[in-house]
Amino acid sequence: MRRSRTMTTAAVAVAAISVLATACTGQAESGANDDPKARTTINFWHGWSAPSEVKAVQDTIDRFEKTHPNITVNVGGNINDDKLNQALRAGGSNGPDVVSSFTTSNVGKFCSSGAFADLAPFIEKSGLDLEKTFPKVLLDYTQFEGDRCALPLLADAYGLYYNKDAFEKAGITAPPKTMSELASVAKKLTITKGDSYEQLGFMPTFHGYETVADHYLSSWDHTYFDADGKSNIAKDPAFAEMFTYQKKLVEDLGGYAKLEKYRGTFGDEWGSKHPFHTGQVAMQLDGEWRLGMATDAKVPFEIGVAPMPVADDEADSYGKGFLSGTIMGIAPSSKKQNAAWELVKFMTSDTQAVVDFANGIRNVPSTFEALKSPGLKFDPRFKTFLDIAQHPKSNTPDGAVNGATYQQTIQDFGFQYEKGAVTDLKAGLEKTAAQIDTDIAKAK
Amino acid sequence: MTQLLDPPRPPAASPEAPSPALRAARRKAVLHWIAVHSLGVAAALFFVLPFVFVVLTSLMSDQQALTRDLIPRTWEWDNYRRVFDTPGFLTWWRNTLLYAGVGTVLTVVSSVPVAYALAKFRFRGRRLSLMLVISMMMLPPQVIIIPMYLFWAKQLDLSGTLWPLIIPMAFGDAFSIFLLRQFLLTIPDEYLDAAKVDGCGEFRTLIRVVLPMAKPGIAAIALFQFFAAWNDYFGPQIYASENPGAWTLSYGLESFKGAHHTDWNLTMAATVLVMAPVIAVFFFAQKAFVEGVTLTGVKG
Amino acid sequence: MTTHTLRSKRRRSALRTAAFMSPWLIGFSVFFAYPMVSTVYFSFMKYDGFGAPSFNGLTNWTYVFSDYPMFWPSLANTLWLVLVMVTCRVVFGLGIGMLITKIKTGTGLFRTFFYLPYLAPPVAATLAFVFLLNPGTGPVNSILGDLGLPTPGWFNDATWSKPALTMLAVWGIGDLMVIFMAALLDVPKEQYEAAELDGTSPWQRFRFVTLPNISPIVLFAVVTGVIQAMQYYTQPLVAGKVASGVIGGSGQQFEPGYPDKSTLTLPQLVYNLGFQRFDYGSACVVALVLFALAMAFTALLMRGRNNLIQAGD
Repeated sequence: MRRSRTMTTAAVAVAAISVLATACTGQAESGANDDPKARTTINFWHGWSAPSEVKAVQDTIDRFEKTHPNITVNVGGNINDDKLNQALRAGGSNGPDVVSSFTTSNVGKFCSSGAFADLAPFIEKSGLDLEKTFPKVLLDYTQFEGDRCALPLLADAYGLYYNKDAFEKAGITAPPKTMSELASVAKKLTITKGDSYEQLGFMPTFHGYETVADHYLSSWDHTYFDADGKSNIAKDPAFAEMFTYQKKLVEDLGGYAKLEKYRGTFGDEWGSKHPFHTGQVAMQLDGEWRLGMATDAKVPFEIGVAPMPVADDEADSYGKGFLSGTIMGIAPSSKKQNAAWELVKFMTSDTQAVVDFANGIRNVPSTFEALKSPGLKFDPRFKTFLDIAQHPKSNTPDGAVNGATYQQTIQDFGFQYEKGAVTDLKAGLEKTAAQIDTDIAKAK
Repeated sequence: MTQLLDPPRPPAASPEAPSPALRAARRKAVLHWIAVHSLGVAAALFFVLPFVFVVLTSLMSDQQALTRDLIPRTWEWDNYRRVFDTPGFLTWWRNTLLYAGVGTVLTVVSSVPVAYALAKFRFRGRRLSLMLVISMMMLPPQVIIIPMYLFWAKQLDLSGTLWPLIIPMAFGDAFSIFLLRQFLLTIPDEYLDAAKVDGCGEFRTLIRVVLPMAKPGIAAIALFQFFAAWNDYFGPQIYASENPGAWTLSYGLESFKGAHHTDWNLTMAATVLVMAPVIAVFFFAQKAFVEGVTLTGVKG
Repeated sequence: MTTHTLRSKRRRSALRTAAFMSPWLIGFSVFFAYPMVSTVYFSFMKYDGFGAPSFNGLTNWTYVFSDYPMFWPSLANTLWLVLVMVTCRVVFGLGIGMLITKIKTGTGLFRTFFYLPYLAPPVAATLAFVFLLNPGTGPVNSILGDLGLPTPGWFNDATWSKPALTMLAVWGIGDLMVIFMAALLDVPKEQYEAAELDGTSPWQRFRFVTLPNISPIVLFAVVTGVIQAMQYYTQPLVAGKVASGVIGGSGQQFEPGYPDKSTLTLPQLVYNLGFQRFDYGSACVVALVLFALAMAFTALLMRGRNNLIQAGD
């Protein structure tokens, strides 16, 4: 009797505490009423981590601080989207004011959840004409269903890197233009050694760094979602074609197990021992930044660059490629949003700033003015990527309310299929499509 | 308990009178000795070789670490200096020492009185309290992480720091309370009664009589707590990951390979540097540690 | 003694108990009772960290049990770990414990060797094993290859990742070894002597003397092993991240359960749902499943035939 009374008291107390604690999890509204001319310090978070990239970011920040002497910027690097999302939710005083992300397919999540503040009022206030400043593809992937919560900060264009010395040795004169040419060239370039390779023509597995499903898919004309917003991957034949092609390439080059074992000997993707640098693979699907990294690593062969080959029956679209880019926005919980906007505006739209940053980080500039600028100091080979970036058929994955989750679901299916754990492609794609729809419905 | 460290040797076979039967028995004993010790050496190799390979790799050049070689061609002692030069590595050390050091002191101070009450006081709800302590001890930290994270991050604005991991230790740690309570049960009540007859209150009894007798138990919980903090990965992953200035060694070590683009040789050198202090502490406090492990398995 | 002083004495004693217990009472309420209630509350809420939580009934529960693609694979992994890893740890722990009681020369050295790996910090030990078991260049596969033996993909192959984790767990077996050693030394010598006089074989002595004497400790090791297997987090997570090559730097997100969900465990799902997808409600559902399992086995510990942890007076 007595015990039960104590228990009841305890339960009531606990319930009271929990109600108190859960009732106040709402966000405090913090508008943009700080004075951007006042002396202040803001936090800027980014994901770059290679030493040369970190330095390029710091150089840009230094230039910003020179032109905006009242604003001091604290830079936090090597932040991925998980940490970013977490910190934006925490909304703490140590959290970021200005944020950036490499994952354009997360923009849907950033905009729809309110993780990034709406930029429309700021854009209006400073009279920035978006259409005249940024290319359309870039404007598309920085908004979601009409919410503009981000601006593009440089862009990434993906192409095919090849080892010219290896090509010469194998008697290949030109880079492949179609996917079947890619397969035959890859086979020609592959030299086996025992149960491993002396040189692999092309690393086809989905874990082969940038050879992920959405990057492959850019070589096919494809649509992720139908008009109703349902997953299209089981209905659009491009998906089945891509998975079939990739699986066959894996088999032709020695099989999944052998390739995965070989992958174990690769150096880090962002380090100097990248397998393309070391000559372990002769071709690599990669972004424009690889050119600078490979040059820094002083590779002992001549590097060739070309657009990624395209599907055999879409040969006329050769020249397109996968596009992506860094996006930049403002934390909604920031108390210094006007100062934050000054940095966003400077880094994304100031021509000189964009050009200098593009030169430093060796990415594709993201404004019309900067793309035309004579100040761009690029290796002549870099033009290939500027062209890919401006090709009308270059593409990027759609946004979704749950961000890149649907990409991960497709990628997961790819892992199953490439190693033979799933053999029925049609059923597998249907199941994957259903999973994507369920996850999106859950997040809505 | 001390016998654990020095198991009594069985009487050696008597040297005199080598009768045939005895000789056969002795040969059997020798064969037995050889069999047992070969097995021991084989097992020891399994336990020691990983350390050996790690240390050897930590002394290779970055090129060689990605080959099948087992022995360094050139001994790159410089790798260790390069690890210390990694941005943040010293900060991780400082944070780990703060988390483990302050946390351990707080845990001991807050857990001792609770363990004492649970072991020696008679009160209503004692059994229930003990069962709840055991439940807390067995609770995976992930079970309550969502509300706890929201509490620390949103209510108290402490995300990006180690305080959400340190502050709770001021309120007793279930594992330490339980372990210490088991230990205190072995102290006979007569000592406490004698102290009370001398006019000591409970608090003074605890300080004057119980603490000196409980030193081995306290040493054990302090060590366990120190290592738990040193080894903790989940806590810093949740609360400190966004702020590299708050990373600990265990969390930073993992990022070492990815974030700083270093190679296996430097990663293994860092691994050695994270393991070394723990192993050094063990050699100094071997006895307390082994006793503590045994306590966890002994019936109360 | 009047009733008045008796009552005041009792009150004083209650106050004294409360004072000694107070750190834990606060700790219990703030770091256990409150978050448990709150976890149950959130499991019925839709909440992504922005705005206010809103009630959405059983949606999170049905999502986790029928639509969340990682839930059942991670339960299957946990079952595998319980059956294989826990068994291996108990068998080897007992074996090493018996071996050390038989070793007569260099006992201290052997014991230190056997014990040391237990102390290796989990992240460091995992990193070391991922390196040692690297399919292409690791020392283990180099040696296996030289001996003409098959060279598995270990942490990079879904069929070998859990055996590799089991090796890591058996390597750090020092805790069980010490517990078993203490139990073995407690077995009365006379029983062995009597059995020897009866002409029994070593196996019979183990079966009929050793085992009955140490069975409570074996049961303790099994049950705590099961609880640890359910909580298994750091090692599989770090192994998956490091082996996949994506640790989460450079803006990349790691792939949970690499390779192919084979290293997923329930606690990792709480992280995936709560701190990667920010679906706090569903994360709380998984947390409650984990809680139910952990408490069921804890109850076994407290209420088992041998009352392994004596909670009573």
